[in-house]
Amino acid sequence: MSAGNATLEPLLTWLTLILAQLERTFYKVPGSAVIARYVRSSHQNDPGRTVLELILIVFAVRTLMQSRSRDKSEGKLIKFSEKEIDELIDEWTPEPLSAPLTEWEQRDLASVPVIAGPNGPKPKILSTGKTVINLASYNFAGLAGNEHIKERAIETLRKYGLGSCGPPGFYGTVDVHLELERDIADFLGTESAILYSQGFVTISSVIPAFCKRGDIIVADRAVNFAIQKGIQISRSTVRWYDHNDLKSLEDVLISVEKDRRKRGTPITRRFIITEGIFERDGEIVDLPKLIELKHKYKYRLILDESISFGSVGRTGRGLTELYNVPASQVDMLVGSVANGLCSAGGFCAGSTIVTEHQRINGTSFVFSASMPPLLAVAGSEGISFLRNTPSALTSLQENVRAVRAVLEKTEGIAVVGHRASPIVHFHLKIPCIANGSANGIATNPTTVMPPPTGPSFDYEAEEKILQDIVDDALANGVFITRAKRLRGQEMVETRPTVRIVVTAALTKKEIEKAAGVVKGSVAKVLGKRKA
Amino acid sequence: MAILTASRSPCSLSPSPRSQDPFWVKKRYSVTQLPPITVTSHLSTVHEAEVHSRSRTITRTPTPVHSVTPSKTSGDSVLDESDDHNLHAALTSEKTSNTVQSEFGHCANQSYRYISQHNPDKPVAEDEIEEPPYYILFTTYFSYLLLVVIGHLRDLLGKRFAKSSFIDLMIHDGYAPLVSDFQSFYARRLVQRVNDCFYQPISGVAGRTILVYDRYSEDFNRTQTYTGTTTRALNISSYNYLGFAQAHGSYADAVEESIKRYGVSACGTRLEGGTCDLHRIAEALVARFIGTEDALICSMGFATNSTFIPALVGKGCLVISDEHNHASARIGVRQSGACVRMFKHNDMGSLEELLREVISQGQPKTHRSWKKILVIVEGLYSMEGTMVNLPKIIELKKKYKFYLFVDEAHSIGALGPHGRGVADYFNVPPSSVDVLMGTFTKSFGAAGGYIAGPKLLINSLRMHGHSGPHAEAMAPPVLMQIVATTTSIMGVSSVDDLATSKSTSHQPTFKPSTNGVAMSEVEDEYLHPGMVPASALPTWFSIPSSLADGSEARERIRRLAFNARYLRAGLKKLGFITYGHPSSPIVPLLTFNPGKMLMFAQMMRTRKPTPLAVVVIAYPVTPLVTSRVRFCVSASHTKEDIDVVLRACDEIGDILDLKHGKGKRWPIEEIVKRSVELVHSI
Ligand SMILES: Cc1ncc(COP(=O)(O)O)c(C=O)c1O
Repeated sequence: MSAGNATLEPLLTWLTLILAQLERTFYKVPGSAVIARYVRSSHQNDPGRTVLELILIVFAVRTLMQSRSRDKSEGKLIKFSEKEIDELIDEWTPEPLSAPLTEWEQRDLASVPVIAGPNGPKPKILSTGKTVINLASYNFAGLAGNEHIKERAIETLRKYGLGSCGPPGFYGTVDVHLELERDIADFLGTESAILYSQGFVTISSVIPAFCKRGDIIVADRAVNFAIQKGIQISRSTVRWYDHNDLKSLEDVLISVEKDRRKRGTPITRRFIITEGIFERDGEIVDLPKLIELKHKYKYRLILDESISFGSVGRTGRGLTELYNVPASQVDMLVGSVANGLCSAGGFCAGSTIVTEHQRINGTSFVFSASMPPLLAVAGSEGISFLRNTPSALTSLQENVRAVRAVLEKTEGIAVVGHRASPIVHFHLKIPCIANGSANGIATNPTTVMPPPTGPSFDYEAEEKILQDIVDDALANGVFITRAKRLRGQEMVETRPTVRIVVTAALTKKEIEKAAGVVKGSVAKVLGKRKA
Repeated sequence: MAILTASRSPCSLSPSPRSQDPFWVKKRYSVTQLPPITVTSHLSTVHEAEVHSRSRTITRTPTPVHSVTPSKTSGDSVLDESDDHNLHAALTSEKTSNTVQSEFGHCANQSYRYISQHNPDKPVAEDEIEEPPYYILFTTYFSYLLLVVIGHLRDLLGKRFAKSSFIDLMIHDGYAPLVSDFQSFYARRLVQRVNDCFYQPISGVAGRTILVYDRYSEDFNRTQTYTGTTTRALNISSYNYLGFAQAHGSYADAVEESIKRYGVSACGTRLEGGTCDLHRIAEALVARFIGTEDALICSMGFATNSTFIPALVGKGCLVISDEHNHASARIGVRQSGACVRMFKHNDMGSLEELLREVISQGQPKTHRSWKKILVIVEGLYSMEGTMVNLPKIIELKKKYKFYLFVDEAHSIGALGPHGRGVADYFNVPPSSVDVLMGTFTKSFGAAGGYIAGPKLLINSLRMHGHSGPHAEAMAPPVLMQIVATTTSIMGVSSVDDLATSKSTSHQPTFKPSTNGVAMSEVEDEYLHPGMVPASALPTWFSIPSSLADGSEARERIRRLAFNARYLRAGLKKLGFITYGHPSSPIVPLLTFNPGKMLMFAQMMRTRKPTPLAVVVIAYPVTPLVTSRVRFCVSASHTKEDIDVVLRACDEIGDILDLKHGKGKRWPIEEIVKRSVELVHSI
């Protein structure tokens, strides 16, 4: 000990000297006495405070350094004097907030029919007062206007009021929401489900809740707009495969794995994202094959059943029922209560881990009010209707066949999609071709663009012709619609189509008659075009 | 039952003294005895209401509210069936004025009213942030540190010795973990400890009181076990500002009628077969309500931001966003592809500085000038209770030529003398804001949101917003709730009926819009278009006269304003630190320490005789140190309800050492007694 002291002695004296020197210079700085007094007094009052202040100083310095380094990384700012800045501000003229609609867009907006009174298989159109046959609204199993559901909704209103007045976390979880979640999980055969208050935002929240930066998403090139937005927000690495082509999917899966091996990076989360029935064209994915691939390459599957839930399978359980695949094989099964059960909202079904994770990380679940209780009850009633009325789905399938039979024989249009799909799209057989080059580049999983398929279409011209068909059908008592697209915002522009939504609420005769009207309108409009 | 006679019983409001109040007598008369009338024939009733209300203002006598008489219990089917709690009788007692006490409390005393309005002679006050003593900050940081260290230790040991419970966090079977342990650390190790404060299921209406399912956890909040019982608690948490969350009363009646007529679903998107006449009617009403040329309605408030902001801005545009903006706006901006910069919360200096920088510098790298700049702010910030300094922003807007987007999710209905939001509060014309967005989830007791603005803009959004072609249209019952509530706030004018309807033409001199059916103490001379013509409403909508003359809703607006100011002022006088604007119905009470926050919620929940349902929020929604309790005051609360809240806070605040505010303190009894003075003093 003493030996140590002896060796330290010169060092200590030197330190004291230095300290004394420092103290003297410190007191020479103007204002330093005040600081010294402050430190001394504060220390006397509260030693803990000194420690805290020291920590705060360290923090402050760190923050300062950080903010400085951030400035640097943002690139150099040009130095301006205040006067120059004022001049620049005066000179700057922003674009208008919104451009006026084009003439075509105006017509498009004005041509959206407004229904007077309740929507259903035979609604009344406000402008004409005429009752029409509805092949535009989602009413697959014929739940719209169901009297029992209305009664239950009124009962719920009288117990729960209308709005829930809070997000699920803050007293917005009403027992009927939990009941609907349980009903959905039971119906599909998954461990649990989580309810979102709008169908569209559901999948755009589910995807970023799991897929983070650095994760890998392999997705179909023709996924719907909501999925596109979800993928965009996730910031994951995306690889694309050809629309509904599982061979192409497998190629991509192999190449991703090869890529990973080559780089020697550790395993990250990998997801396949696709739709059950494609909203865009009514194609149906081969689910058993998809499940096989997912297991083989160890991917998780996010399946959007917004169209197929409530519309295919013996009792409307969707694709898993159609193909007799247990729903628990799909990791995140997303569906729409609004479309499939004629209510509102959407859900994600899966394991408890999957749903519980979303209760903290599903942005539009956490940061939005839960759906009105009476709409949740309407959803539950819809499920029990589907369970008890398999005949609804049988007649839906018959009606689908009837519609397709008529349309497939119609000249001038091409009916696309799977024959079991309750949404039937058709586009013009002879395209309107725009001048210019092809609309794609070589097939490549890193881009969403499909391989070139020939000349690009004149979208607006085709839309106009299809709208003429729609308008003519409406004038003749059949309500159909173009599949509306956000042109310019979609990742890939798709060929304009007319979309027919088949419903079980109409008899086969009525459906055939309606399809006949559409056939007539097509013939009329296309006939005029030739002439 | 014993508590009913206790003098401090909060919610037992006596019917007897009230019946001497001419206001109450009239009101009861007009609502329960008059048959509901249809729009086309209500002119004479409106007039009658005017006469009544005039006489009411003259003969008004303040009601003693503190006197307590046991309330009689009447069979209310809704609450009887599931509720055996002892508060039941008190809270659900009589059904007066077509409303139920458990949903909407009665408060007849006209002095418990306030008109929330900015005083134009005074500058807009800066938000003052009161700082707690250092030891509070120190212990708060320390407790987080402790939680983090313990959490990591548990992870470390757990992964070694209890592999099975960590299987989901590790690579297994060739799959990467669904959620990495790093991402879920916060949820597992911090949130789980306070989990019993969140996601508590309820039953019934989230009105003045709320029926909460009892539950407990045996495994440290990993799972919750439900006992099957419920507890009725005073609800100071729901966004039910104007108290429109009601299963009974005229609004629910209107909704019931709409279900009978329209069913429950719109069955499609707005552009593809889901638009019905009720959408048009509601949109026109909302435009009128806000005071803009046009408005659009979206079926979800979150989606109103996240799907329409991308239609406003895109590449080459800049969004300047308040740092406390709601997640929905952030998602919307991210989807739009525009650049984003943030400014310090509600700090106009910081905003101006940023504006000068970004306009002079232009776009990053290229230094090209921005196509447009959109400033996104909220009217009332949901976590802070602060109010945007709208006059200053509008001044800046003139100079810097940016576009202004105000999210009025919380402020619409809740602020301003006419319930028309921040613009109304500051008395600036709504047209001085480019895009007015808001939601119906809060003040209106409905769901969904709107965007209001010039027709050109709204039509462009209808076509280019994501919701138009892709999201389900709003359901008819929800639309009807919006129609009924906005109508009642605006009041129905019959001016244009005079021209069309012969049956009413015998009263040509009656001009409600200038006379002010409203018999309010202040003369109505404001910029918003006032009443709604009857022709703008569904023909089948039968409106009780108290709704048609706007008096019912006006009461709500003023009660809310009183309650909001009273709670805030009371908490201040008790010595608590609160954030936000004096008129804000959102009142955050700072607890700082996360442990205290948890305790506070639990003590409130289990409090006798009146349990209170409160919302607590902590990091990451708030900054790390400022964990808080957030009260949301409602018009459905009575003054006595606020007394209860204050008393509870007083006691719990002492136990948990939460009173760190500066300024003079009053004892609780004095606060309760001098409440009116207090409300007018801040
Ligand atoms: C500022 C703000 N904007 C938007 C929303 C979303 O509204 P909704 O709950 O109706 O989806 C909220 C809700 O909390 C909000 O506070």
